Amino acid sequence: MDGEIHLEELCKKFDDFVAVDGIDLYMPPGEFFTLLGPSGCGKTTTLRMVAGFERPTSGRILLDGSDVARVPPHQRNVNTVFQSYALFPHLDVAKNVAFGLKYHKLSKDERAKRVGEALELVDMTEFARRKADQLSGGQQQRVALARALVLRPRVLLLDEPLGALDAQLRKNLQVELKALQAELGITFVFVTHDQAEALTMSDRIAVMNGGRVEQAASPKAIYEEPDTVFVADFLGVSNLLGAKAMGPDGGACAVQVGDRTLRAQQGATEARGEVKVMIRPERIVVEPHANEGEQRMPGMVERSVYLGGAYEVHIRVLGGELLKAMVPNDGGAFATALEPGAAVSLHLPSDALRVLIQTEPEEPDEDAVSMAAAEAAQPPR
Amino acid sequence: MSVLRNPWGKPRFLAVMTGGYIIWSVLPVLIAIGFAFNDGRSRTTWQGFSTRWFTGETGSVLHDPALRDALGHTLLLAVICVAVATPLGVALALGLQRWRGRGSGTVNGLMLLPLVTPEIVMGVALLLLFLQVFGGIGLGTDAQAIGQITFTLSYVVVIVRGRLVSIGPEFEEAAADLGAPRRDQFFRVLLPLLAPAIVASAAVAFATSIDDFVVTQYLSSDASTTTVSMLLYSSARGAPTPALNAIATVNLMITLLTLAFAYLVYRRFAGRDEATAVATLEV
Repeated sequence: MDGEIHLEELCKKFDDFVAVDGIDLYMPPGEFFTLLGPSGCGKTTTLRMVAGFERPTSGRILLDGSDVARVPPHQRNVNTVFQSYALFPHLDVAKNVAFGLKYHKLSKDERAKRVGEALELVDMTEFARRKADQLSGGQQQRVALARALVLRPRVLLLDEPLGALDAQLRKNLQVELKALQAELGITFVFVTHDQAEALTMSDRIAVMNGGRVEQAASPKAIYEEPDTVFVADFLGVSNLLGAKAMGPDGGACAVQVGDRTLRAQQGATEARGEVKVMIRPERIVVEPHANEGEQRMPGMVERSVYLGGAYEVHIRVLGGELLKAMVPNDGGAFATALEPGAAVSLHLPSDALRVLIQTEPEEPDEDAVSMAAAEAAQPPR
Repeated sequence: MSVLRNPWGKPRFLAVMTGGYIIWSVLPVLIAIGFAFNDGRSRTTWQGFSTRWFTGETGSVLHDPALRDALGHTLLLAVICVAVATPLGVALALGLQRWRGRGSGTVNGLMLLPLVTPEIVMGVALLLLFLQVFGGIGLGTDAQAIGQITFTLSYVVVIVRGRLVSIGPEFEEAAADLGAPRRDQFFRVLLPLLAPAIVASAAVAFATSIDDFVVTQYLSSDASTTTVSMLLYSSARGAPTPALNAIATVNLMITLLTLAFAYLVYRRFAGRDEATAVATLEV
């Protein structure tokens, strides 16, 4: 099958700034692949290298087996949907879509037919004679998509294409994009900083940070089995507790949190020493204070945030750490009784506790991140 | 009167100042234009309306050889200036925009130098250059054209670069992404997007050339290289007739129409503010 990408030891430096720091990634053919990460993590630079707008400092980009790292963008069989869409303002919708067909050997009729099909695909037929600046954001996005897809690329690259749209439209287009990808069977490489978007749409996600790939796996694995503290923290809400690992204990790891010893079955169960223990808020069971025993910690409610379907309850446990727990709003009296000051017991099931070894130094300070973001937004050419 | 009495009221003091300034600056021009239509020979006493100084049998802009030739020479220089400075300026702007290596900042600064150099300095420098280094060219039309091109080029570069910055690199990237080779990226995408800036900069170059006095005067040779501005200067103390006002009026109208044209073309494609900046650049 066509549309398979291997990135090997891919590096990109802008003067002194390392935007992409030797990443290896495999993007299987026909999959919806997402590069996810905060601003300045190197995801857009990676995409731009695949498109051909940036020349890698080192490393290889294999598109269906052949290295295209030195091939100029107009000779690569990949197409891009830009964040700002970059529709040509001096051309109408149909001419925008037809732009690239000039470089395919097609008869005039065939060309018109392909343009018609592409516009139909994105439901923009009636706007064929409009100028690009007479379209709404969502419509421009569709035209940009048609302009790229009409060339039947092996890979479609999408650089935060939903970033400029309002929330409702965004939700609809997420579903449409995913459906379109499934229908066409083209490899999509999608860049976003929105973790919810990535989880909804992707077959596979690579979480990037500081120019490196932290983890590449299915959305479920990324969310439920994060490899690193960064991934755990970036996706959804995580509770990360400082703990001391005391080594394996019958398939689990004994970890000391405060003055309690818990068993954690997930993650680096072989670890010893300073670690982080992670648990998702929806896996914490809040119980009445009287419940003592295994895998339980006493705590006191600091606040309860009403979310509609659930309460997000912030609980300070013995030892000072703050945990967030989801308590379903099931109509029972217990959930509503979780007022600030209420004493509770937290049940942290061993199969929901994950041991993470903190290898990275603390997260880069604010300045470094914003500098990196600025660099990524305006890469020197 | 307390300033704080009504903070939402219109600032009357500023309105009066602004109005006064506008009248003060426009009035002499309007008076000069008015006397271009004087029926008599006086430039100070109104003797009735007539267009004799524009089209009359004797001494008018149309029929006096000196006036007619000056206008012709002015327009000739302006056309040469536009024809050379515009393409050259566009090429320079593109080059400077792409060039991000060592020395690009310095060259960027140098491009703006002609805009801030006192014209008299430029004029003297160019005169020495043509007398001592490029003696082969000599003074006259060629030297005048080269002199004007030297500084109008800066206007073209500034305007086109401004547009290039606001266009950004992504349209070219999009074209490349869709399969267009370098040549097509330029002709199918960048050039059409730059067109308003190119037209506007050509108009500004035209107007600048017509209005120029210092450089053109320094590099002139004989009477055949006299422009309107030179003529106005030299005959102001002789025996002036309203014909001078007439030719100045024609000059002014050409300049204003060109700039208005530039403004309209530019506004059609780029923002209003950007267009205003471009149109007022020359004035």
